[in-house]
Order: sequence, then C-alpha cells, then structure tokens
Amino acid sequence: MEQAALTFRGVSAGYKHRKVLDNVSFSVREGEFVSLIGPNGCGKSTLLKTAAALLKPLSGVVELFGQDVHRIKPALRASLLGVVPQKIESPMAFTVSQIVMNGRISSIGRWGGISSRDHDLVERSMIYTDVLGLRDRYFTELSGGEQQRVALAMVLAQDPKIIMLDESISHLDINHRQEVLQILMNLNREKQMTILLVSHDLSLSASISDRFLLMDTGRLVKAGTPVEVLDPALLSTVYNCDLRVQQDPYTGYLQVSGAVDSLNRRKKLNRHVHVIAGGGSGIELYRRLLIEGYEVTTGVLNRLDSDAEAARALNIEVVLEQPFSPVGNDAIAEALQMIDNADTVILSQVPIGSGNLVNLELASEALKRGKTVLLASGIADRDYTEGKAALRLVTGLMTDGAIGWQSIQELMLQLQKHSHS
Amino acid sequence: MAMQDSEICRDNSFTGRSRIKVGLRIALFFAAVLLLLALSMLLGPSGIGIPDLQSPSGSAILSLRFSRLLMGLMTGAALSASGVVFQALLRNPLAEPYVLGVSGGAGLGATLSILGGSGLFVSLGLPVVAFIAAVLTLMLVYLIASQGSSGHPSVYSLILSGVIVSSICSSVIMFLVSTASVEGMHNVIWWMLGSLQPVSSGQQLLSAALILGGLAGIWLLSPRLNALALGREMAHYQGLHADLVLVVGLLFATLLAATAVSLSGMIGFVGLIVPHVMRAFFGPDNRKLVPLAALGGGTFLVVCDALARTLLAPIEIPVGVVTALAGGPFFLIILQRRMKQAWIA
Repeated sequence: MEQAALTFRGVSAGYKHRKVLDNVSFSVREGEFVSLIGPNGCGKSTLLKTAAALLKPLSGVVELFGQDVHRIKPALRASLLGVVPQKIESPMAFTVSQIVMNGRISSIGRWGGISSRDHDLVERSMIYTDVLGLRDRYFTELSGGEQQRVALAMVLAQDPKIIMLDESISHLDINHRQEVLQILMNLNREKQMTILLVSHDLSLSASISDRFLLMDTGRLVKAGTPVEVLDPALLSTVYNCDLRVQQDPYTGYLQVSGAVDSLNRRKKLNRHVHVIAGGGSGIELYRRLLIEGYEVTTGVLNRLDSDAEAARALNIEVVLEQPFSPVGNDAIAEALQMIDNADTVILSQVPIGSGNLVNLELASEALKRGKTVLLASGIADRDYTEGKAALRLVTGLMTDGAIGWQSIQELMLQLQKHSHS
Repeated sequence: MAMQDSEICRDNSFTGRSRIKVGLRIALFFAAVLLLLALSMLLGPSGIGIPDLQSPSGSAILSLRFSRLLMGLMTGAALSASGVVFQALLRNPLAEPYVLGVSGGAGLGATLSILGGSGLFVSLGLPVVAFIAAVLTLMLVYLIASQGSSGHPSVYSLILSGVIVSSICSSVIMFLVSTASVEGMHNVIWWMLGSLQPVSSGQQLLSAALILGGLAGIWLLSPRLNALALGREMAHYQGLHADLVLVVGLLFATLLAATAVSLSGMIGFVGLIVPHVMRAFFGPDNRKLVPLAALGGGTFLVVCDALARTLLAPIEIPVGVVTALAGGPFFLIILQRRMKQAWIA
C-alpha cells in the first residue's frame, strides 16, 4: 500500500509582507519521482522551504508521512526529508568528508559520539555519489559538479525517505547532470526513495518523472502525468511564450521547445518605417519598432538632438541637418528618398516650430506618394508656428487620409493592421 | 622540497596518512605548550631562572609567577575559544569575542567602579562590577536585536546592535575619563590595557568555574557549529534547531569573553588571531579546534605576560601591548603561508 509521503492541504505561505504560496494542495506518494516546474519566481523554492518546515504556513497544513511537519522533532524530520539546495557554500576550509559528516549531525548524541552506523552511512553515500576519492580534498577547491555531488552525498547521509532538490542540477554540465540524475533514478527504483525535483529542463524531467506539478504565481495550476501537464496551450500561458511539445520518434519522450517561427518573426519583418521625430520624442518609438522587427529610418533631425543621438546609438539610418539651422534642400531630398523606400511614415509627438515645419511637409508629400501616414494626435498643444501653420497642415493631412494615434500600443496595432492589408 | 611533497600527500591522500600527520602535529603542539609554560615560569623582573626556593622571597616570587600563569591560561583560553565560536557562528573571519558589546559594557562598568568609588561598587570589587556590566550589556544587545524579529534575532541585527551599544559605551567612558582626575584617568587606562595581576582567590575560583563551564558547553556544541558553517538554512534541513544553536553559542561565547574581561581587563588580539592560526594548523573542525584554540590562546597569553614583565624590567609593559606587538608579525607570517587551510583563499 503506497502511503502519502508529502501532503499539502490548502497551504498559503510566504514572508512578512508578501504571500507567495496561495492555497496549494497536492500529495506525493511514497516512491514517486515528481518534477516541480514553473516560471522563475512562481514559488517553487518557497514551496520547498515550507515543506521542510523552514517557513511556517500562514494557513493550511504540510504533512510528512501523515504528521504535521511543524510538530515533528527536527532530528526526526531530517531522517524523513532531505533538501539539496541550489548551492552550498562553506566559508571555511572543510574537507569533503567533514562536509558529508554534517548529514549525520542530527543523530550525533548530545555528548558528540559518532556511531559506526553514522560512519557506514557517510561512507555508503560517498560511494554512491562517487566522491569517496575526494574525501580529503577541500570542499571549496572542487568544481561545481563535484560540489553538487558532495552536497547530494551529505543529504543522502541523512538517510532520508524523501529528497527534494532545488534546481540543484540545472547548472551542471551535461555529463554531471546525467550522472546525478542516474543516481536519483537508482535511489528511486532501488530504495523506493521519494524524489521531488525542481527543474527548468522540461524535456529532461519528462523523461524521468512519474508526475509533474506545474506552478504559476504561487498557485498549483496542474498536477498530473507528463503528457497531461505538458500541454502546449497550458505551458504557453504559464510561461508566457509560444512553446511546442513533440514526442521524440525514437524514445517516445516528450520534447518541449520554444516555437521557432515566432522567433523568426521577431527577427525580420521586411517592413520599412520612416519616423519623423525630434527632441526625444522618437526614442521609445525607435526601441519598440526595432524590437517588433521593423526596418527603421528617421529624419530630418538636427545634429545633437537627443533623437539623433539615439538613432546613431541604435544604428538607425538618419538624415541630419546642422544644429539650430533650418532644414536645407539636400536634407529634404535625402529624406524623400527614405520615405520612398518606406511602407509607412510615422510622425511622433514632436513639437512643431518654424524650424522643423518642413517635416510636416515631408509627411504630406509621403501621403501624396501613396504611403500610409500615422500622425500623433494632439498637434494643437505642440504647435509653435506663427499663425498655426502646423495645425492647418495636420488638419489637411487628416482629411487626405492620414491616421491619428494616441498611444504607442495603438500605433503598433495600426502598424500591424496596415502591414497585412 | 620534502615539505612540498608531504603537502601534496596531505592534500590528496587516499590513505590514513593525513590523520597520522594531524596526530603528530597535535603531539608537537602539546610538547610546545608544556615547554613554553615551563619557560614562562623562569622569566620574571627579578631575573631569569628558578628563584632560590629556600628564601621566603624566592618561593613568593615563584608562587606569584604561578598565579599569573593561571590567570593567563584562563583569560587566554576563554578569549580564544570564544573567538572560535564567534567566527564559526557568524561565518566571518573578522568576528571576535567583543562583537556583542562585552568590551564596551565591561569597560563602562570598570570605569564607573574606578572613578565613582561609591559604596556598592567598592564592596563588590572591580572584576565583579565589570562582569555584571558585561552581562547586562549582552542582555541589552540581545533585547534590541530581538525587536521586530519574530523569535530569534538575526546574526546581522545582533552584530549591528552590538557595535552600536559598544560605541555608546565607549563614548560614555571617554566622557567620564576626560572629566576625571589624573590618577583616575591613569587607573582606567591601565585597566583597559589589560593586566594579569592575580585577582582575589575567590574571584579566581569563580572565574575558573565559569570558564570551564563555558568551554565544556562550547565543546559540546562544536559538532553543531560545524553544521552551521554551511548556513542556517542547510543546518535546519539537517535537523538542527539552527536558531537555538546560534543563540546558545553566542551566549556561551559572550559569557566566556565577559569572564575574561572581568579577570584581566581588555586584552585584544588573542580572541581574533589565535583562532585563525589554530584553524590554519589544525583545520576548521570545531570539535578539535575548540580545545586546541583554548590551550593555544592560554599559552600565548602566558608567554606574552612573561615577556611583558621581563623585557623592560623593572618596568612592566601592558600585556595587551605585547600580544599585538610580539604576536602580530609572528602570526602574520604563519597566516600568510597557511591561510588556505583555514578559510577560502
């Protein structure tokens, strides 16, 4: 009869002013190999700390083999549950065997006696994890993979019934990762040890786990077999990106990967956008357009204008005019060339004065040449020309078919709409 | 070259050789301790060598030297063992016995006792007043650090409140000294420099009991101190009551330091450096380190005291000056060579 090794009943837990776990309930049977997955900061580590009685739940109960974990004596708890943290650090030069001996600390008597059983357990777990040869080396001198195996040996020396690993294997190289996983699988099979593995490698976890627990923002979203939990639609919402799940044709294991065409889309759109900006009104536009994958040109800008600096830093092709001078004919011709190459012309929320009024004329020229023109609304507040020339020009543009935009969000939607039409 | 070979053997040994080497090293250490203690019995302002035991003055001199030897052993052992515990618990090489404000509190108590001379203080005697003040300061620091934290205070809040309370005490001491008479000022400063002049025998017995008790407590705690080296969280996972071990360890160590201060004034350096040197020789395993550091600290202080009373005889140099002046360069060389065996290089 399989017993529940670890049970969460409606557990909410967290820190003083921040609740991390929100009403989490699940149960892990003895002898199960379970992977706990979820995006960064979803509460996986907090869940482990709560399970190990390091954090007291705000509400709900955590049970180890049917007993409230906070009522179990620390020494007994250590013989039921071992935790391998992400990394252990020793500031002092302890040797490997001294470190592993720490696993027996709770059974060492008040008078400091170490029994032969303690020695045997330490020796056995060092053999199991293949660190016996390192026993007299300094722990701090070992490589990351060796240190991780020593940490596992130390926890094995506790002789626990459950082992929880907090992303302990994610930064190991592929060789050591396989080795540690192999050790865990052997323990699971041969000693019926219950394993709870926090992991970011979904494919790897799928190949070794009986069950998955999927967490998102402090809640348990789904618990079930790898096939049940590794549902592309579910994963894509939880991880907030497009994910694809395929079955390996040879092994039958599930493979989780990021969808490749969505990455490609972000690389190149082959859509050209010319931005008319100035005075810093273009920087956020440039950034968003480049992230979305548009080809961006801009101008006419005065040298030393903050938009000109930004364009240069972002490697955007730009038409420049001397500082504090009206825009000359050469620059206008160059800008018209760029507009000809562009599909869309965007006018930012740049204030218009007599010096850059010519930029508005560029926009109306673009409209005449059949380009889509997107104008930032609210020109009246930014019009510094004599006799409101800018306002009149913009009103004319709007009647001729230019489209207004208020926010960058709206602008991006308009851009997408017009790219498809 | 031979040294290098044996170093490599020790590091990579898959046999029992390293254990034999450590055993040999400990035996050598014990021999050195006995030798140094015997030597310091021979040193004194009245001359080098065994005084004439037939004459009453000769036997008095020898008995005085022996009392000072006991004083030095007790004080040095208490300070050094206390330093081991602080460094292990706080996982910090800069930790020392006075971290939690013992020196400030004891110093203030002693200053009040010397300068005030009011009935209560005089009847109790300076060492007792210093001890009580140190313990009161510790309680105050602990109380401040516990505020706002549920249950046990954190290491950092303990250190910070210790530092703050210490500096407040120092300021008050300086204010009191600046307004005192020349003689009072002299007495206070002399006390602060530290001296192993024997205190009353009752006081010595009480201190010996406290120090032995403290050392025993720390030694029983020492396997758990090892586990705490990997941090509180890991110690908790391994089934330790980590917060309790931390607090009990800090209290024991501070009581040792307070007893030492009440015996001999504020002797610096021993509690900081001797633990480092012993760790460099014998490794960071606290089960071995606590007794060895206690013995090493005691012997070191005894030797320093012998030098202090001999070098410029008949003038006696304050022993606190000798510890750092004579011990500093010596220990620097050792640490430079062997730091790797103690802390992460």
